[in-house]
Amino acid sequence: MPRRPIIENGRNFAWITQKVCGIVEGRTPQWWWVAFVISCMVSSFTLMGLVYLVSTGTGVWGLRSPVMWGWAIVNFVFWIGIGHAGTLISAILCLLRQKWRTSINRAAEAMTIFAVVCAGIFPLFHVGRVWFGWWLLPIPNSNAIWPNFRSPLEWDVFAVSTYGTVSLLFWYMGLIPDLATLRDRTRMVFEKRVAEAKTGFAVGFEKAYFVFRKYFYGILAMGWRGSNRHWSNYEMAYLLLAGLATPLVLSVHTVVSFDFAVANLPGWHTTIFPPYFVAGAIFSGFGMVLTLMLPLRALFGLQDLITQYHIDCMCKICLATGSMVGYAYAMEFFIAWYGANPYEGFAFVNRAFGQYAWAYWIMISCNVITPQFFWFKWARKNLMLVWILSCFINVGMWFERFVITVSSLANDFMPSNWDYYSPTVVDIFTFFGTFGLFGVLFLLFIRFLPLLAFAEIKANSPDADVHRDSHH
Amino acid sequence: MSTSSDVMPAGVSAAGVKGPGNWSLRCLLIGIVFSLLSLFGLLFTTDASDPSRPFLGYMLAVVYWLSILIGMQFLIMLWWMFDAGWSVIIRRQFEHMISALPWLGVLLLPLVIMGLVDTQSGKVAWVWMSMDAPVAGTSGTVADDVLYLHKAPYLNNPFFLLRFFIYFAVWAGLAWAFRTWSFRMDATGDHKYVHRSRVLAAFGLFLSAMATTFASIDWFMTLNYHWFSTMFGVWYFSAAMRAALAAGVLVLFYMGSRTDGLKGIVNSAHYHFMGCLMLAFTVFWAYISFSQYFLIYNANIPEETFWYNIREMNKDGTYNSWWWISMALIFAYFLFPFLYLLWHRNKQGNRLKFIAIWILVFHFIDLYWNIMPQKLWADNEMGYDVRYFTVSWIDVTMFIGVGGIVLWSFLRSASQERPIPIRDPRIKESLNYHE
Repeated sequence: MPRRPIIENGRNFAWITQKVCGIVEGRTPQWWWVAFVISCMVSSFTLMGLVYLVSTGTGVWGLRSPVMWGWAIVNFVFWIGIGHAGTLISAILCLLRQKWRTSINRAAEAMTIFAVVCAGIFPLFHVGRVWFGWWLLPIPNSNAIWPNFRSPLEWDVFAVSTYGTVSLLFWYMGLIPDLATLRDRTRMVFEKRVAEAKTGFAVGFEKAYFVFRKYFYGILAMGWRGSNRHWSNYEMAYLLLAGLATPLVLSVHTVVSFDFAVANLPGWHTTIFPPYFVAGAIFSGFGMVLTLMLPLRALFGLQDLITQYHIDCMCKICLATGSMVGYAYAMEFFIAWYGANPYEGFAFVNRAFGQYAWAYWIMISCNVITPQFFWFKWARKNLMLVWILSCFINVGMWFERFVITVSSLANDFMPSNWDYYSPTVVDIFTFFGTFGLFGVLFLLFIRFLPLLAFAEIKANSPDADVHRDSHH
Repeated sequence: MSTSSDVMPAGVSAAGVKGPGNWSLRCLLIGIVFSLLSLFGLLFTTDASDPSRPFLGYMLAVVYWLSILIGMQFLIMLWWMFDAGWSVIIRRQFEHMISALPWLGVLLLPLVIMGLVDTQSGKVAWVWMSMDAPVAGTSGTVADDVLYLHKAPYLNNPFFLLRFFIYFAVWAGLAWAFRTWSFRMDATGDHKYVHRSRVLAAFGLFLSAMATTFASIDWFMTLNYHWFSTMFGVWYFSAAMRAALAAGVLVLFYMGSRTDGLKGIVNSAHYHFMGCLMLAFTVFWAYISFSQYFLIYNANIPEETFWYNIREMNKDGTYNSWWWISMALIFAYFLFPFLYLLWHRNKQGNRLKFIAIWILVFHFIDLYWNIMPQKLWADNEMGYDVRYFTVSWIDVTMFIGVGGIVLWSFLRSASQERPIPIRDPRIKESLNYHE
């Protein structure tokens, strides 16, 4: 039973470099512009929603007693969850020596950072007077007021900002060798492109573009020369960052779960929340990685670098984490009954059969049933199906947060207080637009930075195996 | 990268670990003698102040060894699922160990039977089994306890008994299948057993996760049956994984010291990776234990906090003996092994042996802490008393007794089969593994 190769068709160093750099160095494809313009337009919805919110007040969201947390926290947790796959792939899978991670880590890490950006919008703007956002930081202001350190929302500020910072550093550090390669190829690309230029304007454009690229990649590559010392420092830094980032991956969603679990609200206060949220975050993160990588793989012809083996691995992680989430759902339900607390019991029966039952069953079918298809090879090999299922996962994980947040609040302790929460058009616009923002950032990433960590991929290629021709 | 099977490195014993030094028979004798002694103590000794203490001592010893074997079985299944190469030679040792799973079912059975039969003496720690028993902290009995009545569809004798057999059917059934198929592959070299094992591991992980969760609820959580926590099953799993890895390391050292075992086969990389996993599960155990504690502490709801309160203070608010155990768990069972295992050199040789023993000792204390404290009915102003930390002779004899049986079963299996699965498709990867 031979191991499946991480790179197919025995691609050599030159082919890999050319393939990945070619994406950045080639002409901008037409579909990119179309996607970019659409994404910009979509992201304007967020801008509109936020401008309207700030100029009018937070009343424009559909929040009213008893549902004082609505889409904003749902969207925040949704995006933060998606931001978990990247650092998991680059940190935890690095420590576990999973070599297949090298083909997907770069894009997943970029996705992580952009998702954290999208997530950050919601807690920042929910304060209404956003220019006071800095009050979240523990800076004693002129009134000597400190933020409430006992609130998990405050821990979120620390957890998410630390996570964002470390993820960014990790991502950037991994980029350096690849950026240096792009830098070194700048002149070659320029000469090729200028030779193709037909008009004087085109030549002028190429010259300006050359200068931009020279400085852009030159500065970002930080003088990387690929020497032995550079590589040995790089490897050590990578390992240390992986070790540091691993607890961060867990801590962020643990703190996010605390946002709910420390409250004495039926349906929120349950001890399994921390690992359950972390599993859910990884689940949604890998769902989004599949949603993004499958089209990109087809568009750029990366089938030899992101192989069926990679897709299998990602599907299996979705299966494992989806099943863990299913375990948590089951355990919550069982203990809600076993605990014999009538409020807790009601919260769960109400979730499944009350006014938000539709959302609950969307959640169950998308998060628990969908990944079970990944048991089967035929399902994992049908990429269209995998893509559709990954979209279901994204939907299901949004609904999970919706169900947790809204169903517990809308039907709380006092029946006379109950309500049916609906988002306003501003809620919907703001959330819808974040997909545009995410798209804009991701498209820019595709266009200017190497989509795959090709220096790391090469280390796994057949060329890098010194014993390739002899058995040991 | 290995594609071939049928590997026979120089010096692999064809017949397993035989004497001299195979003490399987002696282990069996010790096991039987000490188990019988403990059973005698369980049935015939009486302790007026705390009649159910021998019951718990007996249970503690069985579930201690059980946790090691459950953890090992989880690791076997995970390694099958992940198609892991490095661990193949270790998997065989665990396959020998899990041969003891059915015997642990036999050893635990007296407690269940006692629960069904003996409803009067108060010797059974599962208080809810006796309808006439007074409920701690109240003036009523179990039969009129509204909380019990709510839980009665789950907490009743026939269903409890049925679940007991289901758990052991799952564990022992899986153990039988994984062992049989792996040994058959030694003989025939047929890789269909690999595929079978992988498929079974997929189902087995589900089944074993459920069995482990509900067994911990049934046997430990219902000791204070008013209390509940969704995390509890995960705690027992995390504890079992720590114990299994630590015990696994010791098994590797033993087998690695024998020429008819793994001498010259197991190398520093195997130890290193076991050490890394020990570190990972040290953190995982702490994460799970802390999360459960923190969320209950922070919510401060009396129906949940009492479980921690009895592990911390007396009725007058002063610290009780469990408080010191709690501190030991935080500092000696988490912080020290965590820091210790960060160092590369501590994951080798005697240093690794030391921390493995350390973890196994504290695992026992962790089980004490999670199982033993119980609200007991008492005729005082609070209506209850708490069982404090004590070590009873039955804890010790049963620990030795069950240990003897487990080691006998391990050594017997190890003496019948090869020390490594020579025809496993990944055996070469495992043999040549390096850091």
